[in-house]
Amino acid sequence: MKAEWRLVRLLGVSAAALLWVVPFAWMAVASLRPGVPTDIASLTPAGPFGLDNFAMAWKSGDFPLWYLNTLAMCGGILAVQLVTISMAGYAFARLRFRGQELLFAAFLLQLLLIPPLLIVPNLAILVSLHLYDSLLGIMAPYFASAFGVFLMRQTFRAIPRDYEEAAMLEGASVAVLIRHVLLPLARPGLVAFAIVSLTAHWNEFLWPLMAVSSPRNQVLTVGLATFASGAEAGSAWGIVAAGTFMVAAPLLLMFLLFQRRFVSSFVFSGIK
Amino acid sequence: MATALIVERLRSGLSADRAVKLSPPRWLPAAVLLGPSLAFLAAFTYWPVIRVVAGSLIVGRFAGQTTVGFGNYQRLFADPHFSRAAWNNLAYAGGTIGPSLVLALGLALALRETTRLTGILRTLVVMPLLIPLVAAAALFSFILLPGDGLLDFYLHRLGLGMVNWLGDPDLALGSVTAITVWKNTGYYMLFFLAGLAGVPQDLLDAAKIDGAGAMRRLRSITLPLLGPTFGFVVPIALLNALTQVDHVVTMTQGGPSDATNLLLYYIYQQAAQNDDFGLASAATVISVAALLSLSLISFRTLERGIHYES
Amino acid sequence: MNSITRRTALGAAIAVPAAAALARAAQAAAPTEIELFFPVPVQGMLANKMKELIDRFNSGHEGVKVTAVYTGSYDDTNLKTRAAIKAGKPPGAVIMSANFVREYVINDEVEPFDPIIEKAGGTAAAYIDAFWPALKPNAVIDGKVFGIPFQNSTPLLYYNVEAFTEAGLNPDRPPASWSEWITAAKALTKVSGGQTERWGLMFPATYDYCGWITSGLVMANGGQYFNHDYGGEVFYDAPSTLGALTLVDKMVNQFKVIPPGVSDANACTSAFFAGRTAMMVLSTGSLSFVRDNMKLAYKVAFLPRSVRNAVPIGGASLILPKGNTPERQAAAWTLITWLTSPEIAGEWSRFTGYFAPRKAAYDLPEMKKYLDDHPDAKVALDQLRYAVPWFDTYNTVAVRKAMEDQVQAILSAKVTPAEAIATAQKRADGLLRPYVEQTALKSLG
Repeated sequence: MKAEWRLVRLLGVSAAALLWVVPFAWMAVASLRPGVPTDIASLTPAGPFGLDNFAMAWKSGDFPLWYLNTLAMCGGILAVQLVTISMAGYAFARLRFRGQELLFAAFLLQLLLIPPLLIVPNLAILVSLHLYDSLLGIMAPYFASAFGVFLMRQTFRAIPRDYEEAAMLEGASVAVLIRHVLLPLARPGLVAFAIVSLTAHWNEFLWPLMAVSSPRNQVLTVGLATFASGAEAGSAWGIVAAGTFMVAAPLLLMFLLFQRRFVSSFVFSGIK
Repeated sequence: MATALIVERLRSGLSADRAVKLSPPRWLPAAVLLGPSLAFLAAFTYWPVIRVVAGSLIVGRFAGQTTVGFGNYQRLFADPHFSRAAWNNLAYAGGTIGPSLVLALGLALALRETTRLTGILRTLVVMPLLIPLVAAAALFSFILLPGDGLLDFYLHRLGLGMVNWLGDPDLALGSVTAITVWKNTGYYMLFFLAGLAGVPQDLLDAAKIDGAGAMRRLRSITLPLLGPTFGFVVPIALLNALTQVDHVVTMTQGGPSDATNLLLYYIYQQAAQNDDFGLASAATVISVAALLSLSLISFRTLERGIHYES
Repeated sequence: MNSITRRTALGAAIAVPAAAALARAAQAAAPTEIELFFPVPVQGMLANKMKELIDRFNSGHEGVKVTAVYTGSYDDTNLKTRAAIKAGKPPGAVIMSANFVREYVINDEVEPFDPIIEKAGGTAAAYIDAFWPALKPNAVIDGKVFGIPFQNSTPLLYYNVEAFTEAGLNPDRPPASWSEWITAAKALTKVSGGQTERWGLMFPATYDYCGWITSGLVMANGGQYFNHDYGGEVFYDAPSTLGALTLVDKMVNQFKVIPPGVSDANACTSAFFAGRTAMMVLSTGSLSFVRDNMKLAYKVAFLPRSVRNAVPIGGASLILPKGNTPERQAAAWTLITWLTSPEIAGEWSRFTGYFAPRKAAYDLPEMKKYLDDHPDAKVALDQLRYAVPWFDTYNTVAVRKAMEDQVQAILSAKVTPAEAIATAQKRADGLLRPYVEQTALKSLG
């Protein structure tokens, strides 16, 4: 009886998982069917197949520019974040100072006060800093990451102090301590954070939409939205599928290749 | 002790070049380490909060004259679009948080063992996490197309007719909610998987030996031990319910007739389309206040969870 | 003069003119760069065609380099343009929905074309006369030319010939009045097994399209719909509006010849191509798109009349945002004159289905041949004599949506037409109040 229940449960979950993947399946199938076939909804078409849709999507949109902008934005955010969260995380993990509780609470609150919620005032601030319509403007509100600070605090807390003490006794300078002791031991936390940060910002839409107006500063998500929901695509769903694929492909590919890394990053970031 | 050593090192390094040995204050290392983060935090989180509260109290009139007062809030509460958006958002929150948590927990429980098959199934469910919500919107624009879209196409084969999933005011919010559930469930499932890994197997085995059924074990052992996980996931789900509006922006634009208007979309409309920054600020203040108060409850649970663990 | 001085003098004699020539070449080689924001509000590969046109323009005009930027729908283009102007980085030129021009004038965000036209020799009045008269009200505001029409449309009734014959209707006599329209739609609607296999009529009811078609119906019912000369008044709560909304209400909820709920343009065309709707109301801007994709026999006709024939103008005009330097404005003017020349206007019209706003375009032989080969393109042009201006008021989009929200509610039987017009009028009045208080109701002391 046990085994039957198990089978039923397995079938149920498999059905759910298959249902979950249907949109992706359609995306893959439809993007490979050029023209405007009448049964574009079919998941099991007979063909013909071709790469025309990708060529058309590439031509209609500005994908090279969008890729570049998105990479620059995500990379820039991550670079600054890694520095700020490591420093702040270390401070909370190892140092004792007045107002610690209050400052920690201030970071805690930032978990909720994310940039999309504060679009209205942040836009005004960007304008006064002359950062409106620039990639730097998109990046700036994310340079401090409360989430990252918590993660690094946990990470540093988990590093036994013996390592640092040993290094100190050996006469290591602060720089050496950081490079050869702390950073290597903190790497798992940093990598986990990097994965979460890159994923989150690659997929960000509303804030980049508002913060940037020129086409030369557009990122992938905003480009895709203009491209796919504009009437231009009209009934050319194959092209929409192809364009969507080109936006989603990089992260999906990374995920499928480094599944366990990805999964453990997201999970690791949740455990406090 | 290592801390003291490091602090000592930092201090001596800082004062090395001075002729007179001045000792930097105790808080300097912390200030240096926390400085950048706090600067950005102040500039892009806390200063905006002050600004938006102030902005909500500035009542604009035609051609640039302004006064200070509660006029924006009066207009806000009198605006049927806002009340509709608020109600919709409550329904949206309930419709996304409940189902996605239940599904996520169910899937996590079913897939908690790590085998080849469960690995694949987990991957399939987690994939939506990796794509932007606007990409999901583009795909679902087709899937939910009346008549020719994927859903109607296959429903037709089962004998059902054409359903206007996004154009029928009674169905539109449900459709938008379903897309969000599709997107987030895998993400929450990951956290439940981690939480379940922390439930000691011997506890469950002992209960099984004592004759406790699966439901009993779930209720009495698993769920309580998952408390901290819930305490973490629920605020995130709440935050998502307020901030995930990308698909409304691209698919329905709040329509048909306000059926999918949500608070953040309302704010976006007032700011971007109507140039009404007073109204947008007031709406932001209300939304943030609601979010903070609702999250306070969840955070209390989280606090309990932290103390429980440590 | 000693050798050194002579060499110096010689060197200078060569160097200075050379430097000047280089400098001038550099200046000439540095074209004025401007952006053109353009929307694509209808289906078809218009964005690619526009980019192609701009590439052609750039290669033919050394001093100007235009970057064509696709900015989405009419509403999206409006948002992006306003954002750019506010940020102090206005594009050189924008193809703006014709009914938003008034608002830009009210907010003082665009330059009038009169000075530029006059500098090039000629009067603004004569210049705008080269375009169809129906386009003037949306282009000439407060006596000055603020928009140069680029593409224009009227809504057309597309209908499936085979469906007509099958239903016993004469495909050469499409419905010309509202009563004929209802009769035809009833005959064309096919229900089997409790499900509607073919609808009589479909029309896009998404934001912008909905208001456009509604305004046409109201004006065909004898109404003005809005004050064409003053941006502070709308006539939502009026008998002509009530009649138009009642027509829609009956067709959807009583006769059930139009599917309930909001259908977007894609749903309409998909259904039309598949024979699942016998008639559809769609912009002439989609004419070429329909021609390319409709495999079944179809024709186009005027929108049926009630009290009179009336169709709203749609389309877009080129505007000159404020905040550009004189060089950029000159470059933009070069682009605008090229884009609106008879040849290019005609080419764009033939590609899209929009009719060419420039009268002279129809004198060109290519255009004459095109109309002979494609009589459906002529229908939109012929309907021009019944054209009325497009809805434009203060805060156009919000005031427009005040009505659209109600129409969308009618499509789902959530409100009655009487409730709809009352609510819409109230909301619109509230939105127009700030403007009205500064103009018509200005405090006289």
